[in-house]
Amino acid sequence: MDTLAEDKNLVRLTNPGPDDELRQAVRGANCDDYQSPLFIAWQINSACNLGCLHCCQEAGRSLPDELTRKEALDLCTQIADLNVPYMAISGGEPLLCPYLFEVSKLLKSSDVSLKIETNGEFIDEQTAKRFADLKLRSIQISVDGVTAEAHETLRKAGNWEKAIAACKYLTKYGVILEVVFVPAKFNIHQVGDAVDQAYTLGAYGFYTGKTMRIGRAAKNWDILCPSEQEYEKFLEILKAKEAEYQGRMKIYYYPYDIIEELKYRLEYPSTSLMVLPNGKVKMAGPLPFICGDLRKESLKQVWQNYKKAWKNPEVIEFTKKVIDDPKLVAEANNWRQI
Amino acid sequence: MNFSEHTKIRKEKFGTVVFDTLTEKIFITDQIGADVLGLIEQGKDLPEILSTLTASYDGDSQAIEKDVVEFIEQLKSNDIVTV
Repeated sequence: MDTLAEDKNLVRLTNPGPDDELRQAVRGANCDDYQSPLFIAWQINSACNLGCLHCCQEAGRSLPDELTRKEALDLCTQIADLNVPYMAISGGEPLLCPYLFEVSKLLKSSDVSLKIETNGEFIDEQTAKRFADLKLRSIQISVDGVTAEAHETLRKAGNWEKAIAACKYLTKYGVILEVVFVPAKFNIHQVGDAVDQAYTLGAYGFYTGKTMRIGRAAKNWDILCPSEQEYEKFLEILKAKEAEYQGRMKIYYYPYDIIEELKYRLEYPSTSLMVLPNGKVKMAGPLPFICGDLRKESLKQVWQNYKKAWKNPEVIEFTKKVIDDPKLVAEANNWRQI
Repeated sequence: MNFSEHTKIRKEKFGTVVFDTLTEKIFITDQIGADVLGLIEQGKDLPEILSTLTASYDGDSQAIEKDVVEFIEQLKSNDIVTV
């Protein structure tokens, strides 16, 4: 989350990216001034039933040293103590985590606004009711097309009908649904229909953006990455859909690629943390740097580490190298302590 | 007047952060804004808020009223508060 705002004027801050107008409006606080993160992205596990071509985390099997249930619940207490307002839990596939609901209930009772990001394949009617009872901020389901072929080409071993059914169960019970669409060569042409589909499913929001060349996406880049022309058309369609659905469904697309994001983050680090399944904390998705270990340090300490890490010459130098040579993003999952 | 369900408020050294976690909009306000938010949290209505702030702050009461009403309208228009 970005932290830059005009006095009392409401300014959209979430990932505004390298927006020159917004930068000019900036004055005052940056992440250094914040006592704790405004947002935490927690990859609660690495196990997954799918083998998505684009998976940044290269999820599939559990890591050997993932947090225990007790450690996870302790982390929730620390998150509440630091008054972190907003979180997203993902994985792997978070519904494969045996204590997901326990963690979610604890965070909710601590007044944390929580989103769960899932492939939806384990959300049957009963599970949808459980989520409804929790009254979380939202559940985000990945639906990568309006045909099974498009969705399942990207989500290896995936089932489009199950993802659609999950969406329907969730909205049936009043859960706020968000739909995520990852563009690839073979489904990007469906984006307009995918937006319409999300609206029909009762989604609050439709989210998309350029696919990030991290993890399995980097390995499958040749078969994944749309052309620049395809991205231009994609963005045109999204702008039109944004106007069409104004006031009815939020359509959010992040138009910048990973390199533009990194240029921006060097100057304005996000006021957020990324927690990995083993309790280590990563500075940012595209960077390999670990700035803390929640097994050994408190969340409060890790937040201080994070702020200092963005000033670390090794981090700055490596980030600039990645900006000059984007292929270095392939290092993102070769974690190293900073 | 109440905060909407997804609104979270947090005080920092530099001001008070108001975060609509559904729309993901963030808003930073000063001490007077923080006072208004605090009074809304206590369940005060507009006349009570104006009365409290006029007593607390030096300055023209009409100017304070104008400022506070404008601020609350902004909170309403951005779904931070509901009436």
